Amino acid sequence: MSVLRQLYRGENDFDIVGKFKIGVSLSALLVLISIASLFGRGLNLGIDFEGGSAFTITGDAGISVADTRDALRPIGLESSKIQVLGGDTLRVQVKDVPDAEREAEIRQTLADHVGTDVTEVSLTSVGPSWGDEITSKAQRALVFFLILVMIYIALRFEPRMAAAAFVAMVHDVIVSVGFYSVFQIEVTPATVIAFLTILGYSLYDTIVVFDRVNENALLLAASGRATYSDMVNLSMNEVMMRSINTSITSLLPVTSMLVVGSFVLGAATLEEFAIALMVGLVAGTYSSIFTAAPVLVALKQRQPRHAERASRTTRSTDDDEIVATVRRDDVTATIKARPRRKRRR
Amino acid sequence: MKRPWTSLIGIVVATTAALVAVFATGSAPKLGLDLQGGVAIVLEPASPVDDGILDQTIEILRSRVDALGVAEPDITRQGGNVIVQIPGVTDRARAREIVGQTAELRFRPVIDIAPGDEPTPPEEDLVESEVVLGDRDGELRYRLAPAELTGEIVSTANARFGITGPSEWAVLVDFTAEGSPLWDDLAARIVGRQLAIVLDGIVQSAPTIQTAQFGGSATISGSFSEREAKDLALVLRFGSLPVELVEQTVQEVSATLGRDALSAGLAAGAIGLLAVSLYLIAYYRLLGVVATSSLAVAGGLLWSLISWLGEAQGLALTLAGATGIIVSIGVAVDSNIVYYERVKDEVRGGRTLRSSSEFAFGRAFSTILKADFASLLGAGMLYLLTVGPVRGFALFLGLATLLDLVVSWFFMRPAVILLARASRDHPTRLGILPSTTEATP
Repeated sequence: MSVLRQLYRGENDFDIVGKFKIGVSLSALLVLISIASLFGRGLNLGIDFEGGSAFTITGDAGISVADTRDALRPIGLESSKIQVLGGDTLRVQVKDVPDAEREAEIRQTLADHVGTDVTEVSLTSVGPSWGDEITSKAQRALVFFLILVMIYIALRFEPRMAAAAFVAMVHDVIVSVGFYSVFQIEVTPATVIAFLTILGYSLYDTIVVFDRVNENALLLAASGRATYSDMVNLSMNEVMMRSINTSITSLLPVTSMLVVGSFVLGAATLEEFAIALMVGLVAGTYSSIFTAAPVLVALKQRQPRHAERASRTTRSTDDDEIVATVRRDDVTATIKARPRRKRRR
Repeated sequence: MKRPWTSLIGIVVATTAALVAVFATGSAPKLGLDLQGGVAIVLEPASPVDDGILDQTIEILRSRVDALGVAEPDITRQGGNVIVQIPGVTDRARAREIVGQTAELRFRPVIDIAPGDEPTPPEEDLVESEVVLGDRDGELRYRLAPAELTGEIVSTANARFGITGPSEWAVLVDFTAEGSPLWDDLAARIVGRQLAIVLDGIVQSAPTIQTAQFGGSATISGSFSEREAKDLALVLRFGSLPVELVEQTVQEVSATLGRDALSAGLAAGAIGLLAVSLYLIAYYRLLGVVATSSLAVAGGLLWSLISWLGEAQGLALTLAGATGIIVSIGVAVDSNIVYYERVKDEVRGGRTLRSSSEFAFGRAFSTILKADFASLLGAGMLYLLTVGPVRGFALFLGLATLLDLVVSWFFMRPAVILLARASRDHPTRLGILPSTTEATP
């Protein structure tokens, strides 16, 4: 039976825990590359963080960066950052905030170059201290968010799960920021928003997996034969189809944002959002399986009762079968016989 | 679940009613200026000030921006910053100038009252020229001599009750050490005539000079109400604005760019929704139809809510907010997926379809609740602790997450339960295949 068919019928029984070593190594490698790049190359911060002005104007298709550079030469702006978005929208960024006269000059030059009215020029200008302010506010929000969520998970689930979820979220942030550093994609407020969303996603995914682990943990106590890692493996197999479907249905709108935003209509903000979300979604799905779960298993195996059980049961294909069978008989019976009791903690 | 129909019909009727109400009153979501063009300026006081002064500043800015005559200017305080948003303004340069200017308080002797004369345009209102200006109510028009003094001579000014007569409000003005002799000098020349106090091209007050010697302070009396006396004191004390404001960020969006962003956002959302719906229906069959319908119900409720918030609270939908909504499609769909996968699990575990659909909901909803709560926690935190676009994003993400809970409970649950009852003998219609390994122990 093909893998897809197994998944569709819910009969998948992959040895995910057995792949933890590879998964964790890959995570560690990505984190190392990200940190190295962050220290080595740093981030390409947009004007919202560094201060500066961006002029945007929409003209005809066929605007080129080279022509615009020539047009800006007379006013001494040939070294500005010039981008063409969606084929017909021009964006020129300058490092400083020009005074009113200079601003009018730049506007006029751009309007003449594109051949439209000067009122069609849009402008975003940001003073140098503003970036520090939003950065520090976002950082503070992030710290509070992490603390609150950790407290929530520790209370609702348990402290070890909070620790595992924390590691996964930190992994996602580092890897996503690292992606921006490695490829030197510009960081804008839209990117920051997207990063924060990523955390939400990553956490959401991790909670869904942990919720199932918690539920199965009660059955583990009942059967007395499976180890904690067997049980995590089982839980991840059970929620796998959900994870795949959710990732697909989350990626579809984001892909649509990326395609429409960058290729068809040239909406820069949409494109910025979409790239960051895409990177984060992939990292978030990956980390709930290969970061959060391994950390949780590692922490749990150190608990005396789970450690003892792990040493009693040697892992083999036969044991896997038995555990699964035990679960099927035992669990369904438990649910049928005592549906209320099982929900109690 | 005892009465699935009641709940299902209830939420559909409520959503329809909300949408009808929105369309009947002709309201629509209020668009942020990045979607319709306009100016947004974030201003920060040059020196730290207390909240009261910042609020006064906002009042003054509001009356200035109102003079522009645009539809819905929005001037608010966020933390220590003042945020001015003027959507749909065509002359953006003028709007910025008006907000940013630090107008000067001028004292001009009154030549006469000239009701018929055209007022002097603002660009010709210079210190050294003779001008014609109106008063605050626009009733009287004064012809004024060149300005003799400016607001620099005023040290402080306060509204006082009962100092000029019983139950009368007056304004007590103190002059600076340098200002006092200059004032006395002017007073000696124009004693018995009126002196106009001019700010922002408007005669704020035109008291008659009663004496030639003031000795450091003056009292302005008249039939002031408390409000008028306090306003005048404020004008004298602070000139234009109580505090100098520095532009932190300016965002000017042309109408064309705004329209492009709006259509891009709409197109992205529509294509994304269509793709998600097709995938869900292909995978979950009739359950996919339920998922798509619950997206429609959530969408209808969200549209009504945003329209109402725009109307009642002046809340504008920005591109960041729209992104929050597109992202929340993922959250809403996930609730459906968690539930359906759970139903499948229970069916494989040997339950009937009908009992699975009811039992699974409790389990799935508990997961949804935990995960949504974490999302709400995040959205709330972002909303409280950040500024600008991040805030808009957090708000709409939070709203959409709340609606997800409502729709999961009142729509998804009864719809799936009813569907399960109807499809008892045809589980494949719901994308559920009978297990092939059921017989193996």
